[in-house]
Amino acid sequence: MLNTRDLEERWLKYKIKSYIPHATIAISLVIIVVITSIFFSSNKEEKKTPLLANIKKEKHIEHVPTVVTKVAKKALPKQEVVQIKKTTIEEAPKTVLIPTQDKLPKSDDTSLKLSPSLDFMKKMQHSSLPYYQDEKNTEKEVLSDTSVYTSQKVEQVLESDAEENIQVNTIEEEPEKITIQRHDTSDDLRDIIKRFKKNNSPALSLFIAKKYYELGEYHKAYNYALITNEIDREIDASWIVFAKSLVKLNQKDMAIKTLKQYVKSSHSSSAKILLDEISSGKFK
Amino acid sequence: MSSSIYINSKNVFLDTVNSKDYVQLDRVSTIYQSLKDSIKKPLKMILLYGKPGTGKSMFLTKLYNDLSSSQIVHIYQTPILDENEFYKTLAQDIFATKYSGELNFTQFMKIVENSSIDSIPVVLLDEAQLYSDALMEKIRLISDTRTIKFVITLHKTEEEDLIAKEHFQTRIWESIELENASNAELKIYIQKKLMKANCFDTANMFTGKSVNRIFKLTNGNYRDTNKLLYALFDIYSAYDINHQLSTIGTTHISNKLIEMSAIHTGLINA
Repeated sequence: MLNTRDLEERWLKYKIKSYIPHATIAISLVIIVVITSIFFSSNKEEKKTPLLANIKKEKHIEHVPTVVTKVAKKALPKQEVVQIKKTTIEEAPKTVLIPTQDKLPKSDDTSLKLSPSLDFMKKMQHSSLPYYQDEKNTEKEVLSDTSVYTSQKVEQVLESDAEENIQVNTIEEEPEKITIQRHDTSDDLRDIIKRFKKNNSPALSLFIAKKYYELGEYHKAYNYALITNEIDREIDASWIVFAKSLVKLNQKDMAIKTLKQYVKSSHSSSAKILLDEISSGKFK
Repeated sequence: MSSSIYINSKNVFLDTVNSKDYVQLDRVSTIYQSLKDSIKKPLKMILLYGKPGTGKSMFLTKLYNDLSSSQIVHIYQTPILDENEFYKTLAQDIFATKYSGELNFTQFMKIVENSSIDSIPVVLLDEAQLYSDALMEKIRLISDTRTIKFVITLHKTEEEDLIAKEHFQTRIWESIELENASNAELKIYIQKKLMKANCFDTANMFTGKSVNRIFKLTNGNYRDTNKLLYALFDIYSAYDINHQLSTIGTTHISNKLIEMSAIHTGLINA
């Protein structure tokens, strides 16, 4: 009698062998289809820049804090020195700082809904603590009392009004916190510029624009704000930096014109406030 | 279905050359009739050729059985390779002349010339490709005397084609080629063979699909088909004994078992 078991085993092997070419063809076809679909979908996504811009922003926001935290970490030991200075400045800042901290997030929520880049800034504020707290505080400090700070550069800025001072003050605060910090920020800025050149992310360019504005390099700030606007036209903060830089570069009319157009299209309240301030002469 | 039916069906496909097992197919019947007609004609030599397993030997056996009642016919299924032995055998079978000593070609030709047989005897030589060139030349010379008619079968291979060309092309008056069965012919062949042995149940199991699969494996070659079906029914009977038939069903021939039998017979190299 035949050994049917052995035959069945041989038959099974034969069947598997005969299916191998079909299976490989099928698998390779599936792989090709998947690869092509991924390729085409990625192409489509590239075309849909406004949508992707948001995604990219989120991605970069994830990255940026690492740089910012570096800055913050480096800044932390220096802040101890600054704090000593602040104690000499007396109680005034303390009394002013507390209410402004409460108010700030609210104003951010209302005015910065359209710009995820400002969320990124919020993160920075949270992570870098005193540095950004001070930056925000200055907004309110200026509203309440502009004569709080005693440093030389702050004094210059105090003459100018409102929100402009917020930015200026924050820039000037850094040099206050020991000169080494300036080198760090410039190094970090270089890193961020490098990263921006690779990623072309509006979040990074806005960050650079803001930094340059803070450092008083208005022309560069203007350029980076312009780049940011070209990448994403819906970021309020970018338009604000752009307009402020223009004012600083003695292009007030141009600033008013662009802001008017932006307010028209976006109905941004923060842009409107700035427009009013520039046109009324509050912001110089 | 009992295992005996599978054993009976298996035995149907035993590879034997028996004229009783001859299955009449339309095309084959036509060829056979033309062969019979050719023998009636005053032809010297008839060549029957084809690939191994196309039924040449079966044709020759059938012809022998059909003609033996009406005329002198001698069949040599295994070739007589020794020349002396060949002449002696022919002299003894056809002319009833017994030779104890050696019989060479000249002596045999004398016997042929002096023969007083009324009808021309027919000599059927199977596997003629095994005869030496010299002997084939002498067979040709004997047939030229028109005292003996030869029907020879040859395997059709490239090499044997050359032999056919060199020795017979100008001398053969009739050549008949046998080919493998077509798909439809194969189905008829299998079913007729089974029904001849009263295996109707197994004959009905052969559907178009299963015959198609068998045809793909055997290319319609009768010998390969017989081998395959013998192994197939051997597996069926083994399954029946092991009570495994329910897993494959008995309504039609299982493709799995066809492939298994093909692996067993070497038609599939697994």
